[in-house]
Amino acid sequence: MKKLIYLSLTLLLCVSCDDYLDIKPVGQVIPSSVEDYRSFLTTAYSITNLGKVLSTYRDDELQLNPDSPGVEQYADIYIWNDENPSPLTRSFPYSSFYNIVFYCNHVIENKNAIEGDAEAIEELVGEAYALRAMQYFELVNLYAKPYNRATAGQDPAVPIVTKYETDVAYPVKSVQEVYDFILEDLNRAEDMIILDKQEVGLNYRFSIAAVKAFQARVYLYQNEWQKAIDHADAALALNSELQDLNVDLTRMPSEYNSVESILALEIVATFDTANNATISDDLIEAYDQSSDLRFDLYFRPTSSGRYRSKKNADTKFKVSYRTSELYLIKAEALASLDQTEPAKTILLEFAKHRYTPEGFDAYKLNIEALNNEALLLELAEERRREFAIEGHRWFDLRRTTQPKITKTYEGQTFILEKNDERYVIPLPNDAVINNPDL
Amino acid sequence: MKNLIFLILFIPICMTAQHQQKRVSGTIVDAAKMPIPGASVYIPSTMVGSKSKEQGVLDGAMLGTTTDFDGHFELSIADSIKSLVVSYMGFKTKTIDVSGTATDLTIVLQESTENLAEVLITGYQKIEKRKATSAYSTINVSEIEQAGVATVDQMLTGQLPGVIVQPTSGAPGAPSKITIRGTASLNGSSDPLWVLDGIPLEGEDIPKDFRDKDNIDNLQSFPIAGLNPEDIESITVLKDASATSIYGARAANGVIVITTKNGKKGGMRINASANAFVTQKPDYSKLNLMTSDQKVDFELFLASRKDLTYQKDRGEVARILNAFNAYETFQDNGFSALNPEVQNAINNLRSQNTNWGDQLYQMAVNQQYNLSISGGNDQNTYYASAGFFDEKGGTIGTGQQRYNITLKDKFNLNDEFSVGLAVFASQNKTSSYITGADSFTNPSRYARNANPYLRLTDEQGNYIYDPDLVERSDLNLNYNVLEERRNTNHELVANSLKSIINADYDLTDDLHFSTQLGLQFDFNRTEKFSDKNSYYTRKYRQRSRYTTPSGDAYYMPEGGIIQNWNTDVFQYNWKTTANYNTTFDNLHELDVMLGTEFRRNKIREIQTKGFGYNPNTLTTIPITDDRVLTNPLFDAYNKRYTENAFASFFGTASYTYDRKYTGFASLRYDGSNLFGVNPKYRYLPIWSVAGSWNVHEEDFMRDFEVVNNLKLRASYGIQGNIDKNTSPFVLGMYNNVSILPGTNEEVIQALGAPNPDLRWEKTTSSNVGLDLGLFNNKLYLTGDYYYRKSTDLIGLRAVPLESGYNFINTNWGTVSNSGFELSINTINISNSNFKWTSGFNISHNKSTVEDIQIREESFKPSLKGYSANAIFAIKTAGLDSNGLPLFWKDGRTVSAVEFYNLEEATDGSQLTRQEHRDLYSYAGDGAPQFSGGFRNTFRYKQFDLRILSNFILNQTVQAAPSYFPTLAQPGTNYSTQILNAGTGNLPALIGSNSPGFNTDLVYSWYNSFDAGRTYEDLDIWIKDISYIRISSIRLSYAVPDKYLEKLKLSGLNFNIEGRNLLVFGTDYDGYFDPETYGSLYAQPIPKVISAGFNLTF
Repeated sequence: MKKLIYLSLTLLLCVSCDDYLDIKPVGQVIPSSVEDYRSFLTTAYSITNLGKVLSTYRDDELQLNPDSPGVEQYADIYIWNDENPSPLTRSFPYSSFYNIVFYCNHVIENKNAIEGDAEAIEELVGEAYALRAMQYFELVNLYAKPYNRATAGQDPAVPIVTKYETDVAYPVKSVQEVYDFILEDLNRAEDMIILDKQEVGLNYRFSIAAVKAFQARVYLYQNEWQKAIDHADAALALNSELQDLNVDLTRMPSEYNSVESILALEIVATFDTANNATISDDLIEAYDQSSDLRFDLYFRPTSSGRYRSKKNADTKFKVSYRTSELYLIKAEALASLDQTEPAKTILLEFAKHRYTPEGFDAYKLNIEALNNEALLLELAEERRREFAIEGHRWFDLRRTTQPKITKTYEGQTFILEKNDERYVIPLPNDAVINNPDL
Repeated sequence: MKNLIFLILFIPICMTAQHQQKRVSGTIVDAAKMPIPGASVYIPSTMVGSKSKEQGVLDGAMLGTTTDFDGHFELSIADSIKSLVVSYMGFKTKTIDVSGTATDLTIVLQESTENLAEVLITGYQKIEKRKATSAYSTINVSEIEQAGVATVDQMLTGQLPGVIVQPTSGAPGAPSKITIRGTASLNGSSDPLWVLDGIPLEGEDIPKDFRDKDNIDNLQSFPIAGLNPEDIESITVLKDASATSIYGARAANGVIVITTKNGKKGGMRINASANAFVTQKPDYSKLNLMTSDQKVDFELFLASRKDLTYQKDRGEVARILNAFNAYETFQDNGFSALNPEVQNAINNLRSQNTNWGDQLYQMAVNQQYNLSISGGNDQNTYYASAGFFDEKGGTIGTGQQRYNITLKDKFNLNDEFSVGLAVFASQNKTSSYITGADSFTNPSRYARNANPYLRLTDEQGNYIYDPDLVERSDLNLNYNVLEERRNTNHELVANSLKSIINADYDLTDDLHFSTQLGLQFDFNRTEKFSDKNSYYTRKYRQRSRYTTPSGDAYYMPEGGIIQNWNTDVFQYNWKTTANYNTTFDNLHELDVMLGTEFRRNKIREIQTKGFGYNPNTLTTIPITDDRVLTNPLFDAYNKRYTENAFASFFGTASYTYDRKYTGFASLRYDGSNLFGVNPKYRYLPIWSVAGSWNVHEEDFMRDFEVVNNLKLRASYGIQGNIDKNTSPFVLGMYNNVSILPGTNEEVIQALGAPNPDLRWEKTTSSNVGLDLGLFNNKLYLTGDYYYRKSTDLIGLRAVPLESGYNFINTNWGTVSNSGFELSINTINISNSNFKWTSGFNISHNKSTVEDIQIREESFKPSLKGYSANAIFAIKTAGLDSNGLPLFWKDGRTVSAVEFYNLEEATDGSQLTRQEHRDLYSYAGDGAPQFSGGFRNTFRYKQFDLRILSNFILNQTVQAAPSYFPTLAQPGTNYSTQILNAGTGNLPALIGSNSPGFNTDLVYSWYNSFDAGRTYEDLDIWIKDISYIRISSIRLSYAVPDKYLEKLKLSGLNFNIEGRNLLVFGTDYDGYFDPETYGSLYAQPIPKVISAGFNLTF
């Protein structure tokens, strides 16, 4: 008996408690391998927000139907009532951008600790840089003045966070600082990403082509015309294909599996977009319905003679960059540098894929007659037609002419004046409440 | 245990063998003349104390013995010994005179009524009472046992000082929320740890907001649900740090130690008891609802008010008026202008009274049986019992059924080695109704809202659906309580097996080893079934609605819904201790314990849902529509698995000098699996020190004969806890997402924001106490004062959104609890025919939140400086002439417009959140200021009368508003309070254009903009209550011995009992019970009358 007790006592002391206590909870993990981090970054890619959708309500593409259910969530956005909106109003996204930034930061911070294939790690970290840049690009364009070289150094934008820390201050950075940060991240991304293109289905992930397309867009927004052209060319060198609507009307060119797709990540329309609003008269009038092949592809008629967006919540409509944008960026940049003819060439090359052959002939005649100033206006219209309900319009209005917009809602007229300060969206309340430095 | 007592008793006693010897013998019996085996007979230490120091020899055999199987003992003692002491657990110790010849004595021991165990059972140790330094309370279950009560927690209500027991609901099987000495945590569980014969039980915590509508109708299995109170001998509640620290981190909320019955040496005893108990139908009139007559008048009143348009088409009166196109006629010209047909149709409603009390509640006859067999001899003692408990609740459709089997056996293999074995097996089936997501159909809620004239079936027996229970104005999903009850089912079957094996080995007289292995298996199966034809199913189906070009469609298949939750819990707990107890020089007593404990639990939960369920074929139909993938309500299968391991090392040491001064210390290291937790917090040290002074042993107390016991105690200790959900690392959880069509990828989602700075929660406790026994313990008083301070409490704190998160877990609060407890047990009168004993206890706890971080966006004030349960109210100042509420601001009476700073064309209040918070003032403590109980037992000859009561003094409670001024509508019934709206303090019913100063502003404020829901916090809904509930009156009759002998029985008792018959105190109008005041969802606490018998042979 005594032996037994001594034996069990000895055994007891020998049991390694740390082993005994080492339980890995089912379903939980601390990311360590490159595969873990890939899954981790995929979560960041999967975090979506309504930034593009809500800004579409704010611009001039939609006419909100006051009788639709749930319309209170959009009405005050639609009429630019930022002062005292209904409490039901949807907030423009803020924290979801920073949530994605958190994921990206974690990947970037641990780039030297990730275990696994070196190339896969490079690729992953590069994507994290690009994805992070994208969040800041959206933030700076929603919540700050459009880029203006003269004032960008003083114009307040949003805080920049590169590292997760508790109890630190998050002061606002200037528009210039944010743009610099975006470009810096994109340069790093360009250095690290290996894949030129992602295959369909995985094309929500950044590739070299996507980084270049993104850079072209950033330079366009900065009015850095030559750089915009260079980067658009670099991206087009990897993929310059356009979907010819004369041949293929099975899908919209903005769909994720179109030949044009470079990055298919952002949500541009929801169930509501297609249901509580119709397309604004302005936008309908922008199309030549007889010759523009996009019209029937993008819109469906309602029983009351109006049109609704065919883009809806289906994930196939996710889009960020596509080749059409590169053509139009390049054309716009060339025209801005007074290179009228090369700009026209690019535009026509693109337009051939959008109009019926007869329509295109008429279009061509029309374009060829334009002077540079008129061409720039036509380019803006072409962007508007091509990117209808695709989340470009609000940013395009902001960065270009900031025109006066008039809307009628429930019998009342609402006006967004030219260069109205409401072209900058105020920071959401919960962001201000939680961060005293905003 | 007995051995331990002997050792402790005999060790200090030494005497010489040279003295002349004499023999003493006798039989020890109880009051019923049953022999008591195992009783101790020994020489009192005071008689040998002076001599024993001469010789250091221990010779226990010379000094005492235990009675044998027949209660017989025989002993040789020195001639000089004049008296002997006889003692046995649960009986009063008796001193017998043996100065003359003393053979064949018959010694009758009286059962102890003082409820004073000789030994404190901590679950790890048995500490002799005189050496105990802790604050604890013990009660024998036989003293508080009540018929028709399924679990022991309810019986504790008001019986133990410092322990607040609140019924969560009157539902059968509903657990009681137990709080010991206040709450030490702001977020975590405040449930105490239940310990069954040394094994801590696993089980679900009672939700913090247990009266929340989403929690109250959930069937859950709680740790002690399967235990039969008949198997329980006593309950000990460990309260201060020196008592609980040995249990480690889990014991922060106190420990309740259950000691079950053991077999006793002696002949086989068979005990059978049966009880029938009748649950009375709850008193529906307590809700003060309008009758049909009143309701019709009220609807007419609403219709006559053109300014009150909220859902004006609802209610039968409006439907009649609209059917006859007479609504406007009525509004313009009144009732008399209506044509007689319409008048008649409306007046007919007045006599159409459905008694919802009869439709929803019932009287139920229930039963309870119990059989136990026990006995034993020197080698083996056994106890076995079987129990059956069947209760149908006062709310139709609720009930509980439990089967129990308990087996306990203890083998004494030899003098040194013993092995014990115990098995507790039970099946506990709880059934209830089923309520949907918004709980409209919770019976207690529906009873308040259903119109009194609404009929349930028509003449042909077809269901009449409630036309006023609608989802939207254009969607009625057809609710009928009879149909719903028939076509739905909600049941929890909890099968539980707990088994304990322990072995004790005495290596030497001083050194003992024991080891104990406890296994617990719980299999809980919950099933919710709703047939195709039920409101629940129809409502669920709505969640699968989508639009197609041809109209609405549903992807949920036609048919019923079957939902199952299966939870398997397994745990083992293995603990091993070494005890060293010694005495030297007859002055120094040393008790040291060292031990280890390993615990592991595994919890597996599987939830399945089947749709299109056919209860005849038991088959379901899979959902093939892709939309289901994004709707978790239709997840067919969900599994969760958790596993935890704990390793602990502990020790206690106690030193007593000269039986007067005791010092005690304990230390425990708790290690647990903390995946991702900062390694420096892996082992938590938990320690305590304590001391006690037996003042009555001092020489100077010799002259105070009145005082037979006086002891002072003090303790101090630290406990800790670490939040397992927060990590300094980024912890991820696997999931699946589909970003683009056709892709489905495994992802890792971050579980929450990491916080590397998180520290463990720490609670320090101090306790001072006093035990005082007067007049030979005829009056026994225990008093304690304590102060507990919990610092670094972990909670969610808002952080800048730029961090990527809204909240992180952080150390954010400090809470202290202080209070006192007093219990007095007295024997008021005791003679051969009449005996009256009382037990009274009262306790007071005051919690203070000393530090807390308020969320910036919070509408309500910070708890800082107030109780953790503080209730804040908006002070009203009556009504203006239009019935709109007035408020106090800076000593002036102001309108709502000024008070809330309401402005036209805005979203209402222009106040900042800080200003909004400042509107509130402290209204009182939601926890009672004083609580306690009073127990009286009277015995007159063969009759026993026992009255148990419990009381609450000064508790602030908040009613749910009986109506909302802008939302009064004809479609639902209301408390009659609404008839007085606009008078006294009750705000008038208003529409946007009702007369009054800025009514439209006030209207839109209360109608939609009052995001902080201040209306519910108006002081008119808040009051202080105090009450005493007579929880049990029990009369029993013991059949006298002379008849028993004829019947060859050793005991027969008949009893009748009334439970919860009376409540005295502040009114609680509008609610069924003061305990559930403010809850619209709680089921009434049943009044029960029972009759039964108890037979022993």
